Amino acid sequence: MDFALTPEQQMIYDYGSKLAQSYDHKHWLEKARAHEFPREMWQRAAEDGFCGLMVPEEYGGGGLGLLEMALLLEGMADHGVPLLMYVVGPTMALGHISKHGSDQQKSRYLPDACAGKTLFCFAITEPTAGSNSMRINSVAKPDGNRFKLSGNKVFITGVDVCDYAVVVARTTPHDQVQRKTDGFTLFIVDLKAKGVDYHAIDMSIVAPEEQFTMFFDEVDLGPEDVIGEVGDGFNTLFDLLNPERVTVAALSCGIGRFAVNKAAEYASERVVFDGPIGAYQGVQHPLAVAKTQLEMASLMTRQAAWQYDNGEQAGPAANMAKYAAAEAGIMGVEASLQAHGGNGFTHEYGIYDLYSMVRLMRTAPINRELILNYIGERVLGMPRSY
Amino acid sequence: MKVLVAVKRVVDYNVKIRVKADQTGVDLNNVKMSMNPFDEIGVEEALRMKEAGSVEEIVAVSIGVQQCQETIRTALAMGADRGILVKTEQELEPLHVAKIMAALIAEEQPDVVILGKQAIDDDCNQTGQMLAALMDWPQGTFASKIELADGKANVTREVDGGLQTLTLDLPMVVTTDLRLNEPRYASLPNIMKAKKKPIDEKTPEELGVDTAPRLTTLKVEDPPARQAGVKVEDVADLVDKLRNEAGVI
Ligand SMILES: Cc1cc2nc3c(=O)[nH]c(=O)nc-3n(C[C@H](O)[C@H](O)[C@H](O)COP(=O)(O)OP(=O)(O)OC[C@H]3O[C@@H](n4cnc5c(N)ncnc54)[C@H](O)[C@@H]3O)c2cc1C
Repeated sequence: MDFALTPEQQMIYDYGSKLAQSYDHKHWLEKARAHEFPREMWQRAAEDGFCGLMVPEEYGGGGLGLLEMALLLEGMADHGVPLLMYVVGPTMALGHISKHGSDQQKSRYLPDACAGKTLFCFAITEPTAGSNSMRINSVAKPDGNRFKLSGNKVFITGVDVCDYAVVVARTTPHDQVQRKTDGFTLFIVDLKAKGVDYHAIDMSIVAPEEQFTMFFDEVDLGPEDVIGEVGDGFNTLFDLLNPERVTVAALSCGIGRFAVNKAAEYASERVVFDGPIGAYQGVQHPLAVAKTQLEMASLMTRQAAWQYDNGEQAGPAANMAKYAAAEAGIMGVEASLQAHGGNGFTHEYGIYDLYSMVRLMRTAPINRELILNYIGERVLGMPRSY
Repeated sequence: MKVLVAVKRVVDYNVKIRVKADQTGVDLNNVKMSMNPFDEIGVEEALRMKEAGSVEEIVAVSIGVQQCQETIRTALAMGADRGILVKTEQELEPLHVAKIMAALIAEEQPDVVILGKQAIDDDCNQTGQMLAALMDWPQGTFASKIELADGKANVTREVDGGLQTLTLDLPMVVTTDLRLNEPRYASLPNIMKAKKKPIDEKTPEELGVDTAPRLTTLKVEDPPARQAGVKVEDVADLVDKLRNEAGVI
């Protein structure tokens, strides 16, 4: 078994880490505190070809896979620059359009998105359907060969900086389908279209991206806006959700590593009694445990990405990676915070600032409990509770 | 014109290095290695010459262990055209490197050879000068600006007390200083293109260069640990501390 990255993969990781040194953690933190999107950094990465990493070359992309995307995001997050927009846009939306979109959609949307000229977000969650996506009731009512989309989405990341959203809606309402997985359709929605409205939610998480409530009121959509087949959205949904889990896992590992590395440095120099506090095993061991958990989670993340890219069933590994990485990331930030003492809570050291972001990853995009349900039921074959 | 750029594989500048317990050197186990930052500047300068139309081909050279190939790949991903790896497990001294470079110059016949002013691992700052002497070529060391025109080059050098501009005849050797340029990052298309660019492998023996050590390292030690600093309230406090605690004024 060969665990080595190819030279290209290594250079992609290195690009992420260098980008995170030009637009560094301090820059990220300033933007995160102000909830301001780092547009210049985005543009730079787009010009260097990284927004389109998963897009085929003929549409202006790099023609690479989820593993390379995860490595890019790890490179950035390892150096303190985790970006949620990379998950929802270049990974989920662009990855999905590349894989399941029509030729027309690909040539219409992908080149501009690769160049950083347009941005995409992703909307599935609704006020009454978060963990339970089966319940979504944003309905795109068939109207001749067109559709009228009405409904409400919540917690959608980055709507204000985006041009388009990939929206999961029902073309057959939830109470009229035979199987609850029937009747889902994925649409590309122009955020400037008539009937689209959105408002920022006042979130307490420290991140450059904001979250939004979206309202759709009879938004006119045509067959050209449907990704894949009408009513068949569920069958490709996990080509969105597994990459989301994998890239969120990469971000969690990165945040955790960044925090642990900061703590290792700090604790090696901070003297409280006689020697540096880093020599105390009460300080050292929690960091060592977190480091171990982070590296295990990172391996699982790469495995899940590899399986996805190779057309294997990536669900179990993607879920386990997301679970392990979120827990390891939280553990890393927690151990780092404790090692930093009071300084961990200052804006200067900014460790506590990482907490909300890494803690989010236990809850979103899929919460810990649902992952454990999945592993219990689907992987271990135990009975369902809900 | 053709440019030969030397790219050395060194400990990444972000790494906090540790001296080996037996004091024979720096511990390189599990340590991130990267291209010497001054060599990145060298590659960037060659790329700018090419983009300005004065250079047709850029050849990146690295000398050392097999993994130096990764450093060459990085140069190729930045935009160099091909690479040469001179493979040896032997620890090299500046004179060895200069002789190997001279042997490559004989084969490649470049017009410009660019090296870093120093490598951040051993900080020797000798290779470029030795190479110029071996070749009997003009040298522009510590360059902060290079302009090529009519078979000559104006090289602005960072010297003590200011800037000095020299006119050099080609072929020449230049060594880069920090302010020469800001190197680009390899873009994704270029990373993918680098895969197809050729890297030649050679050995010092094939080039007829004897790499037997001429220096013996007696001992490698950490610099003495520095005391933690203190923050002063204001200028008066600073002066007071300098006078009464440090006793230096
Ligand atoms: C910062 C942020 C960004 C987000 N970005 C996006 C985005 O871009 N696009 C998007 O579509 N959504 C987004 N979301 C939404 C996110 O995916 C949901 O919040 C998440 O899926 C949880 O859904 P919910 O909030 O409705 O929680 P609920 O479904 O109400 O669940 C509440 C809790 O109940 C427990 N629970 C639920 N079901 C079970 C069960 N079967 N077994 C055991 N326990 C259970 C879990 O502990 C869960 O945390 C974002 C959320 C946040 C906070």
